[in-house]
Amino acid sequence: MELEKAIMERRSIRQFTDKPVEKEKLQELLEAAIWSPTAGNIQPWVFICVTDPKMVHNIRVVSPGMLWSTSAVICICSDQQKALRAGGKGGAVLSLFDCAMAAQNILLRAFDLGLCSCVIRSFNQAAVRELLDAPEHIHPELLIILGYSDQSPKPPPRNTDILFWEAFGGEGVLK
Amino acid sequence: MIDTELYRELIDLISYMTTSARGLIEEPQLYGPFRLIEGVSRICGFLEKREGVDSEFLSQLRERIDQGKFSVMFDVEAFTTMLDEAVLMIARKLKET
Repeated sequence: MELEKAIMERRSIRQFTDKPVEKEKLQELLEAAIWSPTAGNIQPWVFICVTDPKMVHNIRVVSPGMLWSTSAVICICSDQQKALRAGGKGGAVLSLFDCAMAAQNILLRAFDLGLCSCVIRSFNQAAVRELLDAPEHIHPELLIILGYSDQSPKPPPRNTDILFWEAFGGEGVLK
Repeated sequence: MIDTELYRELIDLISYMTTSARGLIEEPQLYGPFRLIEGVSRICGFLEKREGVDSEFLSQLRERIDQGKFSVMFDVEAFTTMLDEAVLMIARKLKET
């Protein structure tokens, strides 16, 4: 698939059919995640893929942003111990950027594999960490819900007046 | 005696409301009304399946909420209209009972 197609046509889909996501596809998504860039190549992250229906349900009920259940959830966590040890004082913030970039790799690869997805931040981090048996320094940052869907919502309009050449407020890129 | 399924659904709702309350301290203001009305939809959903309730009313209320709740993301006016209509539906029901 053309990268441009994935970038332009991927949408956030929150409700899926009952068809489960294949384990091989989940493996591919996780591999895509770890190829995203990280500050100083610290790789301050952990990815936990949850497919057990009971665990997915439990994650859902502590995640107000997850309105329906699904067959697979990837929890992207920052490893704050690693982030602070290797990244210094700024490591904590940088690890968030790193997790976000990994999320985008997952979303685009998911689209490429015919999967639908949505990133969720409206969840209780402490509760998810508890459910996943993760230690204190592992911070769940984002959930990516995955599944199949027939929905293809129209893209919301994009603001184009925020693109400038050379300086803020300069010549617009898209006229 | 409360049945097991209802108990489980209530526990899920308790979790939804508690985690929503915590999350809303830092989340966008409009998520507040959305979380509340989503909670109402869920309550209607698990009550309407049970005996001794006005299933038709609960079902109509839930359907109106579900139809309009996501407009909060792109059309606040439509979201507000849905809430106004839901309130009126409830008020009319209160007059009947």
